[in-house]
Amino acid sequence: MTNELMAFWAEWARPTAGLPIVLWSLLLAVAAAAGHLVQRYMGMPKVVGYSIVGTIVGFAGFEGALWPLQGISLYLLELGVAIVLFEAGGRLPLRWFRYNPMVLLQSILEASLTYFGVFWALHWLGIPDPVANPIALMAIVASPAVLSRVLMDTRASGPVTDRAMTLATLNTFYALALGYAQAGLIERAPQGLVQKLYPVGVVLGLSFVVGAVMALALRSALRFMSPTSENTSILLLAIIAAGAALTAHVGGSAPLAALIGGVLLKQLNPKPWAWPRQLGTAASLLTMLMFVLVSIVAAQADWSLPVASVVLTVISVRFAAKIAGVAIANPGSGASWKQALWVGCAMSPLSSIALLIASGFVTASPLLGAMITQVALPAILLMEVLGAVLATIAIHSAGESSLPWTPEVFMTAEETQR
Amino acid sequence: MKLEPFNKSEALSLGVELELQLVNTHDYDLAPYAEDMLRLMAQTPLPGSVVPEMTSSMIEISTDICHSAQDVITQLSPIRDALVRNADKLNIAVVGGGTHAFQQWHERRIYDKPRFRELSELYGYLSKQFTIFGQHVHIGCPDADAALLMLHRMSRYIPHFIALSASSPFVQGQDTQFDSARLNSVFAFPLSGRAPFTLSWKEFENYFERMTRTGVVRSMKDFYWDIRPKPEFGTIEIRVFDTPLTIERAAALAGYVQSLAAWFLQEQPFEPTEDDYLVYTYNRFQACRFGLDAVYVDPASGEHMPLRDHILMTMTQLEWHSEALNATQALGQLRTSVEANRNDARWLREKQGKERLLAEVVRQASLRFRAGT
Repeated sequence: MTNELMAFWAEWARPTAGLPIVLWSLLLAVAAAAGHLVQRYMGMPKVVGYSIVGTIVGFAGFEGALWPLQGISLYLLELGVAIVLFEAGGRLPLRWFRYNPMVLLQSILEASLTYFGVFWALHWLGIPDPVANPIALMAIVASPAVLSRVLMDTRASGPVTDRAMTLATLNTFYALALGYAQAGLIERAPQGLVQKLYPVGVVLGLSFVVGAVMALALRSALRFMSPTSENTSILLLAIIAAGAALTAHVGGSAPLAALIGGVLLKQLNPKPWAWPRQLGTAASLLTMLMFVLVSIVAAQADWSLPVASVVLTVISVRFAAKIAGVAIANPGSGASWKQALWVGCAMSPLSSIALLIASGFVTASPLLGAMITQVALPAILLMEVLGAVLATIAIHSAGESSLPWTPEVFMTAEETQR
Repeated sequence: MKLEPFNKSEALSLGVELELQLVNTHDYDLAPYAEDMLRLMAQTPLPGSVVPEMTSSMIEISTDICHSAQDVITQLSPIRDALVRNADKLNIAVVGGGTHAFQQWHERRIYDKPRFRELSELYGYLSKQFTIFGQHVHIGCPDADAALLMLHRMSRYIPHFIALSASSPFVQGQDTQFDSARLNSVFAFPLSGRAPFTLSWKEFENYFERMTRTGVVRSMKDFYWDIRPKPEFGTIEIRVFDTPLTIERAAALAGYVQSLAAWFLQEQPFEPTEDDYLVYTYNRFQACRFGLDAVYVDPASGEHMPLRDHILMTMTQLEWHSEALNATQALGQLRTSVEANRNDARWLREKQGKERLLAEVVRQASLRFRAGT
């Protein structure tokens, strides 16, 4: 009887997508619950919950995402970043820099100080320059992905929020252009300036072409489609997905192409963007997946005391450099000193974009890549969580959150009304 | 508590206050930039003043004492230009209009000032719903009794002011079908509506004293009346105007008020009575709901007529006074718009009909405020 039932069941059961999909689905379900609980009971952004789940799973040896990234996991990460950067690009107000060049100066200063500060600190600690350079490049990035999730969770708006997001998008642009180009040169030692700049031009050029095609396609669609329509959101996601796949294939940078595409679309179509509110659950799921993936991968780093001290040095120098860069160019920029401090703090997060840059270096040179990874992965993991917390502190301290800081569960009736 | 004495002011002098919206340039929702804007505005020497308002996405600009509509525009122009310049520096935009078309009141933050915090404690959500934008016009009166007489005469023209300035058809993303939905938010306040009918300052002082004794009122600021006396300035303050989309229209409206006041003072055309208020709320509702298409019930005769016709009729009556006050151009601008049956509410609806996106309507309104066309 049992045998008959088993035989029937074996015949009846159909092969499905397989165990990895089941595991990933369960993982995302747990991450979603953790994100909710972290926000409800700790008043921290949901991304902290996602990262904690990813980290635990990563430390436990989950093999769903291997380092260096490749195949579908690399594409999913690029796609998640591309969606965030497309929107961030659309928020990058080029005309602002004409009216307020000090903001651009703030950006250039904070990025330069971060790069040179981290590079010099690593050099001083005896890290070879070919390893220090990529790590310093990654340090420039202030993750717009984490920042935008924090802003969403705190329902933030205001001068610090807007400026932090603008500076984070700009430094992502610098780091992506330089990072992808230099990854190609890691095993060669270019002599002249032209040889050094040529790959930057190639990455920028290819990404620009794909970004322009994306922007033109969307501009054409917006001539007859409403930006508030669900179909426009789907079309937007589909075009970004195709653009991300195409850019990587031709040798450009998928996130960079999306960022450029967003900037160009905003220039071609100055009408307000209504779709971020419409993108909804599909985009949220992708970004959540991105954070889980980043922490799983980053948790695969080898931890040791010497590594920890290098990582802490990098993080401290980066933190100080960002605040200093924003503060030095603050006079005349229209912001107060207090706001400059909170803008610098809000740019603490490091996440998926840094991981993508690291992945590019590791793929280009496994040998140097291992040394880069040793410092980069722990720094990314730490700053995804700590950065999100610091950004939340900055937004609340600047008074730009629409929600009280008290965790939802401990709120009094009066606070829920405020 | 005693009411402060009614100070001296020059008869027919003018003062204009405009509450303005600060919006971001991304999705054109309200943006909490008041503090930053005030900080930057303080660096430029300008006539009048710029002060915070109830929520952090609003500011109020005002002129010094003016003598004509032309004077108003001369003072408002450099303030507008400085606002636009500083808004560009902050990457935001400044917009007129009585309401923000799609802002959600619960997202607003109370500006950090003791009086606003106090009002927020008292009025709860009403204070955030008070994120509405009006124009106030002060008109100088020869003495306290003349001010009350002027106030009650002016009350007959409240529907005219509402229809001419109406620019708040959209509230929280919906077409309210009102031309001025803003005044519905004001009506929620317990001390809103009309002032008590008294033509003697002595009696008014008495009323004020009785009110303060109840503990409900501490100063004149606690009254949210459509028109209220402003003893410290020696003026009456008309508060029913929606902020127009341009400062040019705001100045023209001030010119209309000044011409009416001149007519009242120089010709004493009618005596206000308590019975004027029998149709007051109905006329006010009609103007809010239908704008220039409203029906106007003459308080004296009870005759029903299109408000548009009554506005044009008063403009004809005022011609001589407007000429004397150098307000011919201002009244001409208003007359043209009335004849074309256009006000700012209609402009906003037309833009929404074409764009089908309220954020784009706000963007275009911000361009209009900047250009002043």
